[in-house]
Amino acid sequence: MRNEKEKTVRIYPSVVCLMMAVASSLEATETAFDPQLVMKQLQELRDNQQRLQQTIADQQKTIDALQKLMTGTVAKSQPPAGQGTAPPALTGAGPNGTPETAAAAVADTVRLKELEKKVDELTESSKKTFPSQFNPAIGLVGETIFSYDSNGNNTTANNRPGGFDVYQRSVEMNLSASVDPFALGYAVINGSADAQTGTANMDVEEVALVTTSLPWGLTATGGRFFAEFGREAYIHDHELPTVNRPLVLDRYIGGETRTDGYQMNWLLPTEHYWSLTAGVGDGMGDKLANPGVYREAGGLTYWAHAATFFTLTPDLTLETGLSVMTTPSETDRGGSITDPNGVSTATEKERRVGGVDVTLSYQPLQNNQFAGITWRTEALRSSSRFQFDPNGVPNSGDETTRFEDSFGLYSLLTAKLSRAWNVGFEFDYLQNPENHRYVTFSYSPFITWYPSHFQQLRLQYTHSDRAGSSLHGDDAIYLQWVWIIGSHSHGFTER
Amino acid sequence: MKNRMLISMPFIAALLALALPAQAADKIRVVTTLTDLAEWTRAVGGDFVEVRSLCTGVEDTHGVPMRPSFLPLLHRADMVVLIGLECEHAFLPALLDVSKNAKIMKGAAGYVDCSVNIPPAEAPRTLDRAEGDVHPAGNPHYNLDPVLAKTAIRNLCAALVDYAPAHKAEFEKNRDTYLAKLDTKIAEWQQLARPLKGVKFISYHNHWPYFSSRYGLQYVGTIEVKAGIDATPRHITELIEMMKKENVKVVVREPQFPEKLPKEVAARTGAELIKLPIMVGGVPEAADYVAMMDYIILTCVNAAEKAHVAAQ
Ligand SMILES: [Zn+2]
Repeated sequence: MRNEKEKTVRIYPSVVCLMMAVASSLEATETAFDPQLVMKQLQELRDNQQRLQQTIADQQKTIDALQKLMTGTVAKSQPPAGQGTAPPALTGAGPNGTPETAAAAVADTVRLKELEKKVDELTESSKKTFPSQFNPAIGLVGETIFSYDSNGNNTTANNRPGGFDVYQRSVEMNLSASVDPFALGYAVINGSADAQTGTANMDVEEVALVTTSLPWGLTATGGRFFAEFGREAYIHDHELPTVNRPLVLDRYIGGETRTDGYQMNWLLPTEHYWSLTAGVGDGMGDKLANPGVYREAGGLTYWAHAATFFTLTPDLTLETGLSVMTTPSETDRGGSITDPNGVSTATEKERRVGGVDVTLSYQPLQNNQFAGITWRTEALRSSSRFQFDPNGVPNSGDETTRFEDSFGLYSLLTAKLSRAWNVGFEFDYLQNPENHRYVTFSYSPFITWYPSHFQQLRLQYTHSDRAGSSLHGDDAIYLQWVWIIGSHSHGFTER
Repeated sequence: MKNRMLISMPFIAALLALALPAQAADKIRVVTTLTDLAEWTRAVGGDFVEVRSLCTGVEDTHGVPMRPSFLPLLHRADMVVLIGLECEHAFLPALLDVSKNAKIMKGAAGYVDCSVNIPPAEAPRTLDRAEGDVHPAGNPHYNLDPVLAKTAIRNLCAALVDYAPAHKAEFEKNRDTYLAKLDTKIAEWQQLARPLKGVKFISYHNHWPYFSSRYGLQYVGTIEVKAGIDATPRHITELIEMMKKENVKVVVREPQFPEKLPKEVAARTGAELIKLPIMVGGVPEAADYVAMMDYIILTCVNAAEKAHVAAQ
C-alpha cells in the first residue's frame, strides 16, 4: 500500500506543474508571441497530461487487482450454497478461513473506497478546462533556397538576383481551429525576405473562415485565401513538387491564386466525384485588380472551377479540371508594364484566363509509399485586353487597345523511387501575357529527399531559353530545404 | 471560351443531378477504413447496413492514398468506423475535413473509434517527432490480436445500437454469434500457436506487439528505425548483430514493404522470411478475419519449425 501513497504524492506536484505551465502559457500569449516558446509550453502541457493519465491508469490497475482479490475473498468468506455444487476452487477454503478473511475483506473494501475516491478526484482534475485548451493548432514552416544563376536578373527578368543567392522564401506560421460547430478558421502568416533589402516582412498570406456544416454538399469560404483555380496554383510554395511555381502560373495568375473574397464549393451528390467551385474577390494573384477610388461590379474578379476524378484501374487514376477567371473591367492591374525591350508599355484593362488540368497517376495501392509515377499538365490561355503605348509617352495619340492572346503550359513527370526519394522533370512553355511573341522554354530535372514527412531537401537544375525579346536564357541550380515543426496536416489539396 | 464554359457548367450540374443514385432507403451507410472493420460491421449490422471500406486490404494503414473518389462515399455516410489510435492519421482527418458531412466528424455520433477500452501498447512517454511520427498515440495495430478484436467489435456494435436502437436485439444477436465463432477460433489459435512461445522475430514495421504478447512470441526489433522512418545502414548492421547474438530466426515482411531489405537481413542471419498480411485481403489466403489469423499463425509456426526455434 505504500506504493499507492508514493504515487499520490507524485501526482500533486504534477498538478501544480500543469497549472504553472497553463499560467505561464497564458502570460506568454499576453506579452509576446513567441511560437517556439508556446510550442514548448504546449509540449510541457501534453507531457504533464500524459503523466497524469499514466498515474490514473496505474491506479486503475491496482483497483482492478484489488477488486479481483476482493471478489475472491468475499466469495471465499461466503458459505458454499450447496455441498455438491460448490466449485472446486472453493472447496479447498474449508471451514478455517472465515473470520480472518472477512476482516481482511472489510479492510480491503475501505481501502478500495479510498482509492476510488482518489481516482475520481484525479479524473475530475484532469477534466478541468482552461483557456489555452482552445488555442489553435500551430505549425511553423521554414524554407531556404540556395541557388546559383548564370545570368543577372537584368537580362533574365527573374525576381531573384543572378549569381549566388540565398533566399529565405518562407517563414510560414499556420494556425487553425474550429470557430464553432459550424465553421473552422485558419491563418497562414508568412515572412519572406525582400530580394533587394533582405528584410523579412510578415504578411498575411491567408486568413479565412470555412464552413463545415452547410447542407447539400456546400462549403463556403470567406476571407483571404487561395482561390480554387487549376491544380497547383492554390498550393503553398513549400508544398510544390518543384522548387519554383510553374512559369505559366507565375505569370498568368501572379503566383498563388490569392484573393480577398468569397468562394462556394459544391460536392455533387452523385456516386462519382464532381466538384464545382465559384467565387468572387478583389483580384487573383499578387496584384489587386482595381486599386482605384470607386469599383464597379465589373471591377471584381470572378472565377469558377470544375473537377472530376476517374479510377481507371485500382492503381491508375485520372483527375482533370477546367478553370476560368475574369476581371471584366480593370484600370491597370499592377500598373503599366514596360516591354522587356524598353520601347512600349502596356496597361491591363480586362483580364481573362482559362485553363485545363490533367493528372494521371500510377499509385500502386500496395506500395504507394515506395513507388509511383505521376504525370501532370496544366495549360492556360490568357486573353486579356491591354492598352498599348508604343512610344511610352501617355496620350501621344499612338495608343491602341487589343486583346493579347497568349498560351502557356507546364508538364511535370515525377517518379517515386522509395519512401524517401523521388525524381522528376518539368517542362515549361510560356508566351508572355503582354506580348505572345516573347517566349520562354524551361527544362527542370530535380531530385527530392524526404528524410521524414517533416523535412525535405530538393536539388533542381533549370535551363531556360528565351526568344523574341532582348532577354537571355540562363542556367540555374537550386538547393531547397524545407522543414516543419508543430501541427501540420497534409491536406486533401496537397494529396 | 470563357462564356461558353460558364454557361455549360450549370447544365452539366443539372445533368448530373438527374443521374442521382437511388438511395438504399433505410440502410445505415457505413464507411470503414480497414477491411477488418468492414467485415465486422457487416457481421454485426447484417441487412441493416451498407458497408464500404476505403482500404482494399493491400494498403499500408499509414499510407492510404487520398483519392477524390472517397469523398462521395464519406459525404453520404451515416457512420465512419476506424481503428483509431492515430492509425489513419495520414489520410482520414484530411478526408473528413472535406467530406462536408457533420455526422461523421470527430466527436459526432457517427465517428466510431474502435480503440475505445483498448489499452494502447507502447504509448510514447513524450510526444516528440524525434520519436518518429506514425504511432503518436501508441501502437494502433491491435486488430492483429483476435482478443482485442472482440473489444473493437463490441464498440462498433454499441455504435450501431446508438444509431438505430430499434435494431438493438438483432445487432446484439449478430454480435454474439460472431463473437462465439471467434471465441471457438481463439481457443483453437491458442493451441495452434503453442510452438510460438518464446520465438524471437523481427518485422519491417512495428505491426506485431499485440499479436506477439497474445501468443508469447518475443518481438525483438523492426527493419524501420522507428515507425515510418526508413532503415539506415547502421541500423541494419546493428539489427543483424543483435539477431545473430539473440538467435533470431524469423523475419516478417508485411506486403506493403519492399522485399529487398528483409530478404537481405534474413539471408545474412540464416532466418526464415515470411510474408504476413496486416488486414483482411492483404494476401489472397486472408479472405476473411478468421482465415487471416489462421494464415498468420500457421505461417509463423511453419517458419519457427523450419528454423528449429519452435517451442516443444
Ligand atoms: Zn504502424
